[in-house]
Amino acid sequence: MNTQEIFQTICTHAREVIADLDTHEFQFDDALKDLGANSIDRSEIVMMTLESLELNIPLVEIVSAENIGELSELLSQKLQ
Amino acid sequence: MDPVITGIGVVSSIGNGKVDFMNALVNGHSNFSIMSRSGRQFESNRDNDSQTKFIGAEIEEISASKNVNRSTLRTSSLSTQAALQALDEAWLESGLEDVCPKRIGLIVGGSNFQQREIYNIQRRFSGKHEFLRPTYAMNFMDSDLWGVCTQAYGIEGLAFSVGGASASGQLAVLQAIEALKGGIVDVCIAIGALMDLSAWECQAFRSLGAMGTSVYADTPGIAARPFDKNRDGFIYGESCAAIVIENSETLEQRSSVKKYASVLGSAMKVDANRDPNPSVEGEIEVIKQVLTQAGLTGENIDYVNPHGTGSGIGDSTELDALAACNLRSANLNTTKSLIGHGLTAAGTVELAAVLLQLDSGKLHPCLNMDDPLENNFNWVGDKQIETSAKKAINLSYGFCGINTAVCVEKY
Repeated sequence: MNTQEIFQTICTHAREVIADLDTHEFQFDDALKDLGANSIDRSEIVMMTLESLELNIPLVEIVSAENIGELSELLSQKLQ
Repeated sequence: MDPVITGIGVVSSIGNGKVDFMNALVNGHSNFSIMSRSGRQFESNRDNDSQTKFIGAEIEEISASKNVNRSTLRTSSLSTQAALQALDEAWLESGLEDVCPKRIGLIVGGSNFQQREIYNIQRRFSGKHEFLRPTYAMNFMDSDLWGVCTQAYGIEGLAFSVGGASASGQLAVLQAIEALKGGIVDVCIAIGALMDLSAWECQAFRSLGAMGTSVYADTPGIAARPFDKNRDGFIYGESCAAIVIENSETLEQRSSVKKYASVLGSAMKVDANRDPNPSVEGEIEVIKQVLTQAGLTGENIDYVNPHGTGSGIGDSTELDALAACNLRSANLNTTKSLIGHGLTAAGTVELAAVLLQLDSGKLHPCLNMDDPLENNFNWVGDKQIETSAKKAINLSYGFCGINTAVCVEKY
């Protein structure tokens, strides 16, 4: 799965977790926090994404991501 | 001044909303079948599979509350969604948007009521527990139900849940009355939580001999038969109700609100008993307590909604208690024959049934009471009857020797 596909996976789960994002056009520099996701929502979205990627890593390894694009990049590197 | 009931919301297998629920009750509708909700049956390839299926009554559809967004609903259990729908109906009827949020309380009857949801989540993440959703930490606790409800309706007075086995729903009503009497809040809502059984609890209830299903395995429609000689244990049914109870003095400021009934008495007695067996002494004591509080005798009571689950010893013990309290002349019917046993929900849903029957002047029929355990009670038969009943007693009993009673008078 490439970075773009991972990005789309995150967006799909963000729409599941956060109401009102149905029609939002996600950008790489969107931060989940700015889109209305609180810390619980963000951990849900990350966990759903990790399951979709079948990627079992400690959450601490991806907390540095500032936005969805960076998170996609980080997850892509972990998948390598 | 006695507390007053001003709002009712109901979700059940025979209809959602009090109008549909009441219509279905008086017309003798029921909805029992082999249960099909995910997690209600064990997956089995054994040849004798049909003998292991659990019978019950499931709610067809729960409508989403306007006060809750999709993301909250995603992590809300069936019990929470049912509570939201019942609460919404009761809240609107009582006009609680006009009451100070700090003067409103919410008490939920029931504990461990999300068992099927928990079972399904644990099955879903079995072998890949590292992906378990973080929100499970919040959702597995019963308090999540009142957390969602208080957030959705802005309730700030008090909120908690109370566990009293099959008397939980009525225990919530009792605690709501105590909160009003203590002046902690002016309005208190009691919710009987939908007990969401998984296959595991069904199996254990059946092994214990409490839940029926084997005799009537192929005929679910006639399985729920409280007080019938050929009863075979209780038959489970999903349900939930919300009841708004108010302090009569503060209610005077909201004169347009409908008043269903005054609560004349409420009582609880425990039997110092860990087991499931009933106690005629405990049952008699709570009935006598509410009669004393109401200043009435058994002969003054027009209608009794008994606990009657269809269990062997429970039903006969209850009739002994009713006879000892001079309640043979009161009309008697059994809501569980129509909607099944809601366990934690039963005490609240059946109080809703009492209030709606008094309000409409009709008493609903009893299903499957082909050969009553005792004939010398004033049973409502297999057809609804007109009634001018005003004073009623509602009873709930449960495992661990809990006995509760409520006495109401139509306003």
